[in-house]
Amino acid sequence: MILINCPYCGERDQSEFSNGGEAHVARPENSENLNDKDWGRYVFYRDNPKGIFYERWVHTHGCRKWFNAVRNTSTDEILKIYKLDENPPSKESFTNTLKTPSGEPKVGSGNFTVKK
Amino acid sequence: MSAADNKKSHYINAKEISFKFDGKKYLGYKGDTIASALLRNNVRLVARSFKYHRPRGLYTCGIEEPNGIVQILNEHNEPNTRATVKQIYEGIRVNSQNRWPSLNLDVGSINNLLSPMFSAGFYYKTFMGPKGFWKKIYEPVIRRTAGLGKPPKEFRSKSVHQNHNVDIVIVGGGLSGLIAARKLIDTEYDVLLLEQDSFLGGILKNSNKIKKINNIDVNKWIKETEKLLKASKNIKIFKNSLVTSYNFTNHLIALEDKCAGKEINKDKSELTLHKIRTTHTILANGHIERFISFRNNDLPGVMLASSFEKYIHRYGVVPETSPVIFTNNSTTATLLKSLIDLGHKPAAYVDARDKDKIGKKLLDYLKKSNIPFYINSEVEGCDGSKKIKTISIRKNKNKIIKVKSSMLCVSGGINPDIHLFTQSKGLVKWDDKLVTFKPDVPFQNTITLGSVSGNYNYEKTIDEIDQKLSFLKAKNIRFNLELNDSNNFNIQELWETKHEKKSNWSKSFIDLHNDVTTKDLKQAVKEGFDRIEHLKRFTTNSMGTDQGKISSINSLGIVSKILKKKISEVGTTTYRPPYAPLSFSAIAGRNTYEFYDPQRKTPIHYWHIENKAVFEDVGQWKRPWYFKKFETESMHLAVQRESAQTRKTAGILDGSTLGKIEVKGKDALEFMNLMYTNAFTKMKPMTSRYALMLGEDGMIKDDGIVCKFNDKHFIATTTSGGAPKVLADMEEYLQTEWPHLQVFVNSITEQFSTFNISGPKSREIVSKVFTDVDFSNENFPFMTFKVFDYKDTEVRIMRASFTGELGYEIYITPNHALELWKKIFHYGKAYDLVPYGTETMHLLRAEKGYVVIGQETDGTVTPIDLNFNWMIGKKKKDFIGKRSLTRSDTSREDRKQLVGIIPLDKSEFIEEGQHVVECERLPKPIKTPVEYLGHVSSSYHSPNLNHCIAMAMLKGGNKLMGRKLFVSSTYGNKNIPVEVVSPVFIDPENKRLVS
Ligand SMILES: [Zn+2]
Repeated sequence: MILINCPYCGERDQSEFSNGGEAHVARPENSENLNDKDWGRYVFYRDNPKGIFYERWVHTHGCRKWFNAVRNTSTDEILKIYKLDENPPSKESFTNTLKTPSGEPKVGSGNFTVKK
Repeated sequence: MSAADNKKSHYINAKEISFKFDGKKYLGYKGDTIASALLRNNVRLVARSFKYHRPRGLYTCGIEEPNGIVQILNEHNEPNTRATVKQIYEGIRVNSQNRWPSLNLDVGSINNLLSPMFSAGFYYKTFMGPKGFWKKIYEPVIRRTAGLGKPPKEFRSKSVHQNHNVDIVIVGGGLSGLIAARKLIDTEYDVLLLEQDSFLGGILKNSNKIKKINNIDVNKWIKETEKLLKASKNIKIFKNSLVTSYNFTNHLIALEDKCAGKEINKDKSELTLHKIRTTHTILANGHIERFISFRNNDLPGVMLASSFEKYIHRYGVVPETSPVIFTNNSTTATLLKSLIDLGHKPAAYVDARDKDKIGKKLLDYLKKSNIPFYINSEVEGCDGSKKIKTISIRKNKNKIIKVKSSMLCVSGGINPDIHLFTQSKGLVKWDDKLVTFKPDVPFQNTITLGSVSGNYNYEKTIDEIDQKLSFLKAKNIRFNLELNDSNNFNIQELWETKHEKKSNWSKSFIDLHNDVTTKDLKQAVKEGFDRIEHLKRFTTNSMGTDQGKISSINSLGIVSKILKKKISEVGTTTYRPPYAPLSFSAIAGRNTYEFYDPQRKTPIHYWHIENKAVFEDVGQWKRPWYFKKFETESMHLAVQRESAQTRKTAGILDGSTLGKIEVKGKDALEFMNLMYTNAFTKMKPMTSRYALMLGEDGMIKDDGIVCKFNDKHFIATTTSGGAPKVLADMEEYLQTEWPHLQVFVNSITEQFSTFNISGPKSREIVSKVFTDVDFSNENFPFMTFKVFDYKDTEVRIMRASFTGELGYEIYITPNHALELWKKIFHYGKAYDLVPYGTETMHLLRAEKGYVVIGQETDGTVTPIDLNFNWMIGKKKKDFIGKRSLTRSDTSREDRKQLVGIIPLDKSEFIEEGQHVVECERLPKPIKTPVEYLGHVSSSYHSPNLNHCIAMAMLKGGNKLMGRKLFVSSTYGNKNIPVEVVSPVFIDPENKRLVS
């Protein structure tokens, strides 16, 4: 269970929050001008990377406010939390600590218990 | 040869306790575990093994025990309890597990003779077919013979949860934990010290390796330390508290046994689950000894050497006065000395190391004490039926000699207990000198101290603690140790010794708990399972409730040898929480029975009970399902009666559970136009409208009625289950997509009770209840609402209907609800007003062709599929899901569309969920798949039409009107012929609705 620092209430238990998936996916304006493929991309496609991910959270059992977070999906570290109207931090400001492309060691366990 | 008391132990004067094991009465001392008490009584056979039903004895003295797992009969029949941990008390009744009919005579032990069948991958290979065998034969047989105890008869244990927010948690109250704690006394930190045993001390109590600390006898030092810690302002000690999980962000779960050594007090909680958030975690949880695989290394009498030592010092029982000691490392020297000091003489000392590694000091001591010893030697195996009789020693790795003894103490080395460290995502590394994995890089604020960090030298531990705690500005107190023996650790790698004998009885085990042999490992690797995670699952190695605590590193050693790889390349399997089994009742805490989930009741709830309502759960709500007129009335009869009466005169439904959301603000109109498909701009104030909410994919998510007070104020109803989600969605769009809109949304579900009265006589009834209101059709037309004063509150009445009859929805504050409900019945009596429940509600709406979200729809249905084109504000520029309604997929003509169906033979009944097809009988044999046209979504017997009516979602349904089709059924041997009709069965012209 991770701790999340709600920008309005402070640090709270993960169980008070809900995850809202990828952040910065703007709902297209003038959708009538989009073709099926482009509209479908907005409705059905979301990124799911291993590593640094910009995502949305809502403090469901608290202030009910939405906000953004940058999380390392392979370690669950929350690297940055910022309000909806704040600019997202650049990806370069975070170092991806994973050694192999997939983050797994070449041999052994998927839990990477043994240091390579 | 048998057990003896440790004459120097404090146990000698302890209180005697009687207890029962497998029905037989024994005596033990207060403070004894089941295991130590049984050893005192020379009970060696305590269990039968999991697969082969081989006789098993106590192997360890702690949480790592793979064999001594028992059932506590007088504690709700609690199964899978570790005999090596559970303390006895007067009258405790304990049974062994996994034996039938008794421990001594076990029928399942025939499995041992059939053992070639039970090799690696046995479950995967054996129980493949034929079809039907699994359910009838395999499963019942496996369940009976491969049991791990019987489930508790009832769920009655009590536990509570407790939260802690602290600065430092110290896991383990042994040497390092206590020293760390003493250095933190009266510092600025809040500290929790968690100890799994009922006393502090760890290694200080488990052995006599350390004599004195700062010139004080260790037992006195522990007492003094405990006193100092208790007197401090900042340190709390929890004993009997086992840390089971070390989660992310320094979140730990510890389970405290409140009844250790005591009988359960029915009025008090038995367990406390501590949920701890900390800034720093100090792991001082020590190490676990591992075994060595040899022939019949599972015979009762084989025990880990340090466990044997623990029994002597902690419990004052010498399990056997002349055991054989077999080791490959330096830790066993103190066991040897302990035995000799007590005047006992080991039958033999077998050491796999050479004389340089053993050292001159120990060799001289062996000679002086006249103990037969064998260096450069190993135990080949042991023999006996229900306990060891002889032990075969391969002397100088060559000649076999036999020694008589009933116990064999074995040590294959010690492993830092890295379980919690790896749970916290710390990385471990292989240490060639220690021949084990030890913590390397912590992932969180984790500090490891003492043997868990791979530091087996007590004197160096003192320096380690000083150094690692210096950043905390801990107190600078120096602790000096006086040791019984120099403790420079050394070890000779040894995982398994070579077998001499070959028979079905001769097995060398790698996992005692799950009955996995070293042969199984070799076979699995041969079959291609050379990745450690695959190998584990294929063989079930280390998958028991002990998680292979004494053997998992050994299996890595054996596998690395087969694969000719380094152990660090083989890697470890994943260490997952919990560290040790914890009962469901501990996890559940107080969230049981009526506290499991909140129950939501309407203000009319107790009236419903008085009137024989049968309830249905709708989300958390308790809703009347139907009302029994008399005790024996069936549901079918009740629903038919309620439905007919409503259409004849009037019926009333408690609709208080309906979700209600108030939308207010300058931009409320624009917001509502975006959220719903409907166009609200031209809608007149004080009118209402049936409205649909879609997802961005164009699929229907929820429906309800929207009341418009004016452009800045709306109230929307939602389905009973959908209210929280609809409110959350509204909030989400307001905050994330349209923050420029000035709108507030708020749940008012529980602020208003709702009654739905409908039927031809409903107008007359409400006119009598609310005498000041003009309910005439001209003044109060369909889909309008009025708000007026009623007593000291306001009532809102909307003319709407979910039955197709003339109807009114009455909204009133809950404190007046019951009184108003009774008043309506008072005036309704003359009209035979009937209360009805959700089942009649569903039937009546189906007669009228109204859909239920979640019944006709399933997240793949658009408004067009339901012929709701009229509800789509096509002229609106945008609303949620609008663009999706013109996607190529949503505009397909062969999508499933809503139709009505009725059986051609009016006496037949169509079942919900059945398939609609074109053929009366399935062809035999089926050569090409029979085309599936759709499914029946709702079906009822209509009392008003006196035959079955059903709704179905059929591919291209709109074009199938009037067609004859067939519906599968669970009775009879052919499909039911049906006709596709309009889904509106009653009053298609809406005469009743608007009159
Ligand atoms: Zn908040």
